[in-house]
Amino acid sequence: MTQAKSDLPQGTLDLLILQVVMLGPIHGYAIAQRIQQISRDILQVQQGSLYPALHRLENRGLLAAEWKGTETGRQAKFYSLTAKGQVQLKTETESWKQLAKAVRLILESSEADAV
Amino acid sequence: MSWWRRLLKRQEMERHLDAELRFHFEGLVDDNLRAGMSVAEARRSARLQFGGIEQVKEECRDSRGTRWLETLFQDILFALRTLRKNPGFTLAAVVALALGIGANTAIFSVVNAVLLKPLTYPDPDRIIQFMLKLPTGITPGASVTKFNVWREQTRVFEDVSGYYVGPGLNLTGDSRPEQLRGMYVTANYFQLFGAPIVEGRAFTADEDRPNRGHFVVLSYGLWQRRFGGDPQVVGKALALSGDPYTIVGVMGPGFSTDPVPAPDVWIPCQFEPNSTDQAHFFLAAARLRPGITLDMAKAQMEIAADQFRHLFPGVLGIFGPQDGFTVEPLRDALVGEVRSSLLVLSGAVGLVLLIACANVANLLLLRAAGRKREIAIRASMGAGRGRIIRQLLTESVVLSIGGGAAGLALGILGVRALLAVNPGNIPRIGEHGSAITADWRVLGFAILLSVATGVLFGVIPAFQASRSDLGETLKEGGGRTGTGTGQNKARSLLVVSEVALALILLIGSALLIRTFYALQNVDPGFDRRNVLTMGMSFSGSPFKKTSQVSQLIHNAVQRVDALPGVLDSGLTSNLPFSGPGHSGLPFTIVGRPLANGSSLGRVGYVTVSAGYFDVFRIPLQRGRVFIDRDDDGAPPVAIINQAMARTFWLKGDPLADRIVIGQGYGPEFADSARQIVGVVGDIRDEALNRNPQPIIYVPMAQLPDGITALMARINPVAWVVRTRVEPHSLRSAIETELRQASGGLPVGSVRSMDEIEGQSTARQDFSMLLMTIFGSSALLLAAIGIYGLMAYSVQQRTQEIGIRLALGAEPGTVRNMILLQGMRLALAGVAIGIAAASGLTRLLASFLFGVQPRDPLVFLAVPILLTAVALLACYVPARRATRINPLEALRWE
Repeated sequence: MTQAKSDLPQGTLDLLILQVVMLGPIHGYAIAQRIQQISRDILQVQQGSLYPALHRLENRGLLAAEWKGTETGRQAKFYSLTAKGQVQLKTETESWKQLAKAVRLILESSEADAV
Repeated sequence: MSWWRRLLKRQEMERHLDAELRFHFEGLVDDNLRAGMSVAEARRSARLQFGGIEQVKEECRDSRGTRWLETLFQDILFALRTLRKNPGFTLAAVVALALGIGANTAIFSVVNAVLLKPLTYPDPDRIIQFMLKLPTGITPGASVTKFNVWREQTRVFEDVSGYYVGPGLNLTGDSRPEQLRGMYVTANYFQLFGAPIVEGRAFTADEDRPNRGHFVVLSYGLWQRRFGGDPQVVGKALALSGDPYTIVGVMGPGFSTDPVPAPDVWIPCQFEPNSTDQAHFFLAAARLRPGITLDMAKAQMEIAADQFRHLFPGVLGIFGPQDGFTVEPLRDALVGEVRSSLLVLSGAVGLVLLIACANVANLLLLRAAGRKREIAIRASMGAGRGRIIRQLLTESVVLSIGGGAAGLALGILGVRALLAVNPGNIPRIGEHGSAITADWRVLGFAILLSVATGVLFGVIPAFQASRSDLGETLKEGGGRTGTGTGQNKARSLLVVSEVALALILLIGSALLIRTFYALQNVDPGFDRRNVLTMGMSFSGSPFKKTSQVSQLIHNAVQRVDALPGVLDSGLTSNLPFSGPGHSGLPFTIVGRPLANGSSLGRVGYVTVSAGYFDVFRIPLQRGRVFIDRDDDGAPPVAIINQAMARTFWLKGDPLADRIVIGQGYGPEFADSARQIVGVVGDIRDEALNRNPQPIIYVPMAQLPDGITALMARINPVAWVVRTRVEPHSLRSAIETELRQASGGLPVGSVRSMDEIEGQSTARQDFSMLLMTIFGSSALLLAAIGIYGLMAYSVQQRTQEIGIRLALGAEPGTVRNMILLQGMRLALAGVAIGIAAASGLTRLLASFLFGVQPRDPLVFLAVPILLTAVALLACYVPARRATRINPLEALRWE
C-alpha cells in the first residue's frame, strides 16, 4: 500500500479534492474513501493532510461547506464546489495534464536514449 | 468569511472542527466494525489510522490564516498574567519606560506643533515669505520700494501681501482707554491667508490705496468685547487714535498670522505706489502660482533684485551687488532657529530613552534568569525557539505599551505645564502652549515608540533566555540559575552603555548650565535693575512733528520726575532686549572719502530723549550726553557708542567729526550733518549673548520732521523710568502723569526691564531647564542600573563570598572586590562617554555662550560626579557583601 501523504506533489491533493467534490456535496470522510477507491488503493489520504487542505480550500472560497444530516442520521460537514472552485479545477486540471505530458515525454525520451 | 469574523467565531469554529473530525473517526470505527472487528478493536484500530487528533486540529487552525492573531491574543493574555504576578518588576519597568517615553512624547509634541503641523492656511506649502540676502545672512523683511518690485513678479507669485504690527492704536471714547494691537495689511492678505470674515467683508483693493480714508476689520475678540457681537457694527465708525475708522468687517475667531499675539484690528497699509521709502519695517508673503517651483521663484527673485538696483541706483550702498532677494517657505521662515534647538533636544531626550531601555533590558535579563526553568519546560514540551522569543517579546512590548500610555499622558501634561511656566518664545505653540495637543501624529509617535522600545529592550533578553541548554537547565538546581557568563556579559555591556549615555547627557546639560550662568553674569553695559518701561504709540496722535514730541518729552519728564520714588525718566525708540536689533541706517562722515558705494556702512540708529543715558546709567566715555537744549533750535548733534568709535575711527577723533545719516533712504530721512558730541559705553541691548554693534544715538527732540512722522506710523516708543523703589509699585502713578502730559494717550505693555530681560532669554532658559531634567534623569537611571547589577551580582555570589569569609578573607578585601567589579564597568562607561561627548558637544556650539564645547572644567567635573554616584551605587551592595554570614551562606540552598 502506497503512503501517498508525502509522495503527492505539492498542490496535487487540492486538485484531487476539487475533482471528487465536483461530483456533488460530500463530507470529508467520504472524500478520503472516494480517492482511495478511485485510485484503486494506490493513494491513501491521511487525515492530517486532508482536513487542513479542506479548510484551506474553504478559506480561499473554492469550496463551500454546509452541515447536513447523513443517511445514517448523523450531522456531517458537506463540501461542494463554488463557481470559483470550478474555474480553479479546470485550470489546474489543464496544467496538470500539461505537466504530466511533459514529464512523460522526457521520461520516454531518456528511456529511448538509454537503450 | 472575513478574518475578523473567523476570529470572533473562534469557539463555534472549534466546535465544528471537533465535530467534523469526530465524524471521520466514527466513520473509520463503523468501517472496522463492518469488517468484523470487536468494538474495542475497531476503536483502537481507528485511533491508530487517524493519528494525532490534536495535531490535525493545529494544522486546520493554521490553515485558517488568523492563526497569528489568535496566538498574539494568547501571548498578550499570558504576558498580562505573568506581569501581574510580578508587581514589583512591572512597576519598576513601567515607571522607567513612562519617564523615557513620556519625555520623548513631550518633546515630540512640541516638534509636531512647531515643525511638522502644516500651517492652518489654505494650501500652506505654496505660501512663501520674501527674504533679504544680506552679507550678515538671510533675513525676512520688506521695504515699500522692494515690495513694489516684488508685486510686479506676477509670473511666479500671486497675492503678494505685506503685513506688520503697527505701533498700537489708541481706542479712547466711552469707557476706559485701551491700546489696541493693530496689524497693517495689504488688501490681498485676506485672500492669501484664507482669512475667515464672519461679518461684512475684507478691504477692497481701492481701500488699500493712499488717502482713501480709514478702514478697519475687527478681530472676533474685540467685536465680542466691545460690541457684544452686534452684526450692526459693520459700516459704523470707530474712533482710533483720534481718527474715525469705518468698520468694514469682522474676522472669524482663532485666525492669526505671525507675528503673534493676534491683533485686535486689521488696517489697510495704503502703501504709496511711487514710494521712495527704503525703511524695512514689514513682512511680505505670497503664494506660488500653480506650476511654479520654489527654485523657479528663487531664480525670478534674482532678476527682481537686478530690477531693484536699476530702479534705485542711489541706494547702492544699502543694497549692493552682493545683496539680493530670495524666498523661503513660510513655515521654514517662521520656525527659523528654533528648529536646531528642538533637534538637539530631541537627540538628548532620545538618549534618555536609550538609558531607560538599557535599564529595563537589565531588569528583564535578571528576571529571565529566574524563569530559565519555566522556559526550559516549555521548550521541552515542543515550543520552538521562535515561539519562545515571540512570547518573551510580546511580554516586553506589553510592558512598553503600558509605559507608553502612562508616558503619553505624562508627556503632554508635563510639556503644557512647563510651557505655561515658561513659553520660551517658541513660535507656533499658541498662547501658553495651547497649540500643543495630542493629535494623531503624537499618538502615532507614542505607539510606534512604545512598540519599538519594547522590541529594542526585549530582544537581547529574549534571545538570551531562549538559548538556554535544555538538559543542563533542567538538571540544575531550581534556584541557582543565571550565573552564565553570557548573561553577565550582556548585563555588563548594558550598564557600560548606560553610564556612557548618561555622561554625554550630563556634559550637555552642564555646558548649558554654564551658559546660563555666563549669561547671568555678563555685563550688559547698563543698569537694568529698577527700571519700568511703558509703550506708547504716536500713531494718529498730534505728535507727528518733532517740536510736538519735544514738548511732550519736556512735560512728561517734568511730571514723572516729580513723583516720589522716581530718579530719572526718558523716552526711546528702541528698548533693549526687545525686537530684532535696530533698524540700521547708512551714514557718511563729512570730509571722509567713500571707498565704494554711497555710504560707509549701515549702523544702529536709536533715537532717545536726554534722560535716556541717566535712566540706564550708560557710562559716558568722552564728551557729553544730550541735554534738554539739544532740540530743533540748536545745532544738530549725535552720540556714538564705543563700538562705533572703534570701528570707524581707527585714527582721528570722533568728537571732531560730523556725520550724515540716512542718505539715499528717501526724502523722509533727509537730515543735516550732525556733530558728534559724545562717546558712550557699549551696551548689549540686542541680546546678552550678542556683541555690541556700532550705534548712533540722536536726540528725539532734534529729528527731522520726516523721521518723526515715519516713526509715529511704524514704530512705538517706550518710556523708561528709573525708580528708587520696586518699579511696578509706581506703575499707576506714572501712567496717570503720562496720560495727562500726552493729552490722554494710553500706555501699553508695562514691564520692568528685568521682565524684558527674562523674556529675551526665555528660550535658552527653557532648553537649559529641559537638558537639566534629562541629565538628572539619566544620572538617576544609570545609578539604578549599576546598583541593580551589583546587588544582583552579590546575591548570586553569596555562597562564594561566604566561603571566602569563612576561609578568613577580610571584609575589606571582599568589599573592595565588589567595588572593583562595579567600578570597572562604570569607568569603562565614563571613558567611552568622554570620547563620544567630545565629538558630540560641537552640535551644541551655537547654543553656548561664555563656554567652549570642550570646556575642561565640565569635562573634568561631570565624569567625577558620575564616578562618585557610581561608587555610591556600588558601595551599598559591596557593604552588604561584607555582612554575609558565612554559615548561612554555606547553608544557602
